[in-house]
Amino acid sequence: MAEAGTSQVGSAAGEASAGPAADVETSASTDAGIAASGDRRPVKIIGIVCNWCSYAGADTAGVGRFKQPANIRLVRVPCTGRIDPLFALKAFEKGADGVLISGCHPGDCHYSEGNYYARRKFELLERMIHHLGIPKERFRWTWVSASEGQRWQQVVTEFVAGVEKLGPRKARAL
Amino acid sequence: MSRQDHIREFAASALGEGRVDYVIGWKFAYNSSEVVPAFVRDPAEVDQLVWNPLCHHNLVTFLKRKMPDPLDARIGVCVKGCDSRTLVALLQEELVDKAKIYVIGVPCDGIIDRRKLEKQFADEMVAIDYPEGDTTDGQVTVTTRQGERKEFATEDVLLDVCRLCRYPNPVYADDMAGPPAAEPQRLPEPDWSDIADFEGLSDDEKQAALERIYATCIRCFACINMCPVCFCWDKCVNRSRQPELVSQKVGPKENLLFQMVHMMHIAGRCPSCGACDRACPVEIPLYLLHRKMNKEIYDMFRFEPGTRLDEKPVFQVFDIKDQFGE
Repeated sequence: MAEAGTSQVGSAAGEASAGPAADVETSASTDAGIAASGDRRPVKIIGIVCNWCSYAGADTAGVGRFKQPANIRLVRVPCTGRIDPLFALKAFEKGADGVLISGCHPGDCHYSEGNYYARRKFELLERMIHHLGIPKERFRWTWVSASEGQRWQQVVTEFVAGVEKLGPRKARAL
Repeated sequence: MSRQDHIREFAASALGEGRVDYVIGWKFAYNSSEVVPAFVRDPAEVDQLVWNPLCHHNLVTFLKRKMPDPLDARIGVCVKGCDSRTLVALLQEELVDKAKIYVIGVPCDGIIDRRKLEKQFADEMVAIDYPEGDTTDGQVTVTTRQGERKEFATEDVLLDVCRLCRYPNPVYADDMAGPPAAEPQRLPEPDWSDIADFEGLSDDEKQAALERIYATCIRCFACINMCPVCFCWDKCVNRSRQPELVSQKVGPKENLLFQMVHMMHIAGRCPSCGACDRACPVEIPLYLLHRKMNKEIYDMFRFEPGTRLDEKPVFQVFDIKDQFGE
């Protein structure tokens, strides 16, 4: 498992661009890894990202010092086409509170067509995951290119906020 | 001439002319209330082949098992409508050599669900009598150990997958055993009413239900072994210890993951023939997963697995114009 350098978001740089007070408060608490309610454990999110776009996009976000929650652990894979639906399901089985899958935009695949196959799989996977009683907010798949550091920040922030709202999973089956 | 006679005649001529090495069909086990798969090698033995509403086995499974050495034998196989769709799914991906098989298509009026009857009579049931000939009009009669006889309308004891079947006639066959079955149940659009109850549950209720259901799974692999389209059975990730993708631990979570691996890997091939449901010794309602999967595939692609030979399964191909995702 490769962990992106982006997960240690520099608080110093982040504060410089911090917006309204409310935002600072939320991001400060998530950065510290403590959920708003206090005694809850921080949510754990697995991100499965392709080497060529989203991983690089996350790197861009880190280099650009875009502030983002640190709850996400990235798994780097060669291509979204390589992602077996089992990966996401396995993450949920092992106790992940959310799974985020991201790769190159359609048309931009390093291997030409990996993500065209992948998006068919993910669409089905998403529908099946909801069928298993895992709320929509806990699974997301999207496209982030290598240059879209800001988009990566936005995707992660939104996704983590959605998962945090639900809190840690108390999974009964998967 | 009944379908059973047709099957025997086709089998005899194929064996007699040496076109196949053996024919896979159905035969009676110890009495006429139980049917088992039959492998007939001698034209003189074709009289043991039968056709009746108890022939639930999907015999295409045996072609899958021959896959490691498909050059080995030329096989004749009897298929119902749903079985033929699994065969077409294998042919679409060239997993079975079309030239090496001889397919006897059997129009089907529906198969009796033994379990529905067993549930009512526990082990008191000693015999099942069903309408003779090619019809399901009439009564299914169960005789109990005490000699009591109870009658059911055939319609009431059919498998759930048969009630919702859109392909009672084989979609692919070299020879068809008699005229096509009537298609009174054929629906213009697929009917997914059997999973509607589960779909209507809330997330928490679904999780609770799945926990209850999958706690009983003993991971015997019967569903996977019986599944005609789950074909990498010698290299299954469910069996892999290195890397250990599915834990050896047994619990609802691991069991559901195990089953989801099976389901996701047959997506686009599975026509919901229900062989897995019938094989499960602890009666896990697997249709909740594979019917849902097929519903979503139909919704996404208007695709029904294994209905056309010239199609590729939807997850083997892509279309640049797909409109999925953000």
